[in-house]
Amino acid sequence: MTPAPTLANPPPPASVDLDECISRLYKKELLADSVIEAICAKTKELLMKESNVVHIQAPVTVVGDIHGQFFDMIEIFKIGGFCPDTNYLFLGDYVDRGLFSIETISLLVCLKLRYPERVHLIRGNHESRGVTQSYGFYTECSRKYGNPAVWHYFTDMFDYLSLSCVIDDKIFCVHGGLSPSIHSIDQIKIIDRFREIPHEGPMADLVWSDPDSDRDEFSLSPRGAGYTFGAQVVKKFLEVNSMNHILRAHQLCNEGYMVMFDDRLSTVWSAPNYCYRCGNLASVLEVGPGGERKWNVFDAAPENDAHRLEQQQQQQQHAGNDPVRDYFL
Amino acid sequence: MSTPSGVKSHRTQNGVWKVTTRKLPILKAEPIEELSKAINIPIPEMIFGDNIVAIEHVPSGWTLEFNARDALDRVSKTEKGMLQVAVAEEWKKERSHQEEVKQVVKPFDWSYSTDYKGTTHVGGSKGAWEMSDQAKSPIRTDLLSRPDPILFFDTVDLYEDELADNGIALLSIKVRVMPERLLLLCRFFLRLDGVIIRIRDTRVYVEHSANTIIRQYTAKEAKYDVVYEKLKAMGENAPETFRDANKLAPLLGTVEDTTDIFQVSRDVD
Repeated sequence: MTPAPTLANPPPPASVDLDECISRLYKKELLADSVIEAICAKTKELLMKESNVVHIQAPVTVVGDIHGQFFDMIEIFKIGGFCPDTNYLFLGDYVDRGLFSIETISLLVCLKLRYPERVHLIRGNHESRGVTQSYGFYTECSRKYGNPAVWHYFTDMFDYLSLSCVIDDKIFCVHGGLSPSIHSIDQIKIIDRFREIPHEGPMADLVWSDPDSDRDEFSLSPRGAGYTFGAQVVKKFLEVNSMNHILRAHQLCNEGYMVMFDDRLSTVWSAPNYCYRCGNLASVLEVGPGGERKWNVFDAAPENDAHRLEQQQQQQQHAGNDPVRDYFL
Repeated sequence: MSTPSGVKSHRTQNGVWKVTTRKLPILKAEPIEELSKAINIPIPEMIFGDNIVAIEHVPSGWTLEFNARDALDRVSKTEKGMLQVAVAEEWKKERSHQEEVKQVVKPFDWSYSTDYKGTTHVGGSKGAWEMSDQAKSPIRTDLLSRPDPILFFDTVDLYEDELADNGIALLSIKVRVMPERLLLLCRFFLRLDGVIIRIRDTRVYVEHSANTIIRQYTAKEAKYDVVYEKLKAMGENAPETFRDANKLAPLLGTVEDTTDIFQVSRDVD
């Protein structure tokens, strides 16, 4: 079972020891809810000052969806280097689906606070109140802390996450993709982002839309909401903004990444064996000082299996039978 | 026995029936494109295109197989039965003057609802599926409820899609083999938030000593709000229960319930 939070008398926010928090989180320990509250408050202050388009310089390692797969995130640091030796840009979707959303987002937020110029976090479609209620994060918070307070601290903080990043004025980075309402980067800068992700409009498009190699322009999904964007849209966006590449996450790829539209767009996916059963590879993209891009592909961390075995044994002890087999009807 | 090819199989004690499963990673980009071209609709985000579950009648080679390709091929490829997400109306209003959007993706049932009941290979058996009913050809839930040892068990996913955060569509299979009988459940589960809950179950039941395969198809659904109110009245934790098809199933209304049987040949000439 997950250890209960142990800080009985939480220190006032000003004295949160980030290095101690980080070293505990690397060991997958939970922080006390009062510490989470203080950390989220500090993170809001920090993020508030960031533009909707954060400009950063290479070298930087770009990470796609993690979805609470804590062991696999640690694998990324083992492969790509720990903070602050390596600069990181995370493209969102830190929570939901995996078993350790709290541990994952807690560590990322502490790293952001400790190394604000070397760690960048932008918002994914799962950094939202609505989505996290359906896909696991809310339930995990309630279960591990006994009440949903930390879910409120985190989701309130999510409203402050920036929406996009530009590397060396050349690579546009976003969680989902482009929007028919956005031609120029300047149009992103004027979005009022300090809110829950809306159902429609440019802010929704940035975190939700997908590329479609079969089409040139924007298309409306048959669902009645959501866009796909094609080759001509990408080409025009890059020309208008004098850039050469769009880098996004949001879509599962078996190979860990996908390059499309004559190398004008790529998808980075960083959750190997997604949901502990897809069997897919994952990757991070290392952008070098000259803009060169190198995919670093990796497989699921071995700790996942050890953890699963441990869980199964515990369940077996409790239930006295094989938890995998069931008498379904 | 599990092999690197992801194949597991089990033969019943009398040697007549063989259950095989294959579980492999989701498809790579190229096979996804080929599959999409072949069945002419976009592919769900998690596609286990190499996974299969098969029940074989060994003497005749008769096989009932479940695979993602054939299941997806039965998804509506037109506007017929097409659902809209809860916010679609809002979108229509807001975007009616959006000149940039020149194309609309060809309509298809993006909820991936399928009435798939498996793919039959008759082998050396003659005949076809015949209509029956539960009175004549019952799936013996009384016998299946006994705690007989489970000699073989597997659970195999065929596809899953989060419907762009509007819910979940999942087609998955469970199979268990006991000393005297076996049961397979192929379940399509759809939760479209704010709109509908849908469960379509195909159950396959075999008594090892018989030559009859009994297949029951049960389709159930209910409006999302109706289920939500029922859960609230029951004091259930709605977000959690809305992910559990087993708990939702009794709250839905049955829209279709059919049983058919296949008589396999005992001896093949």
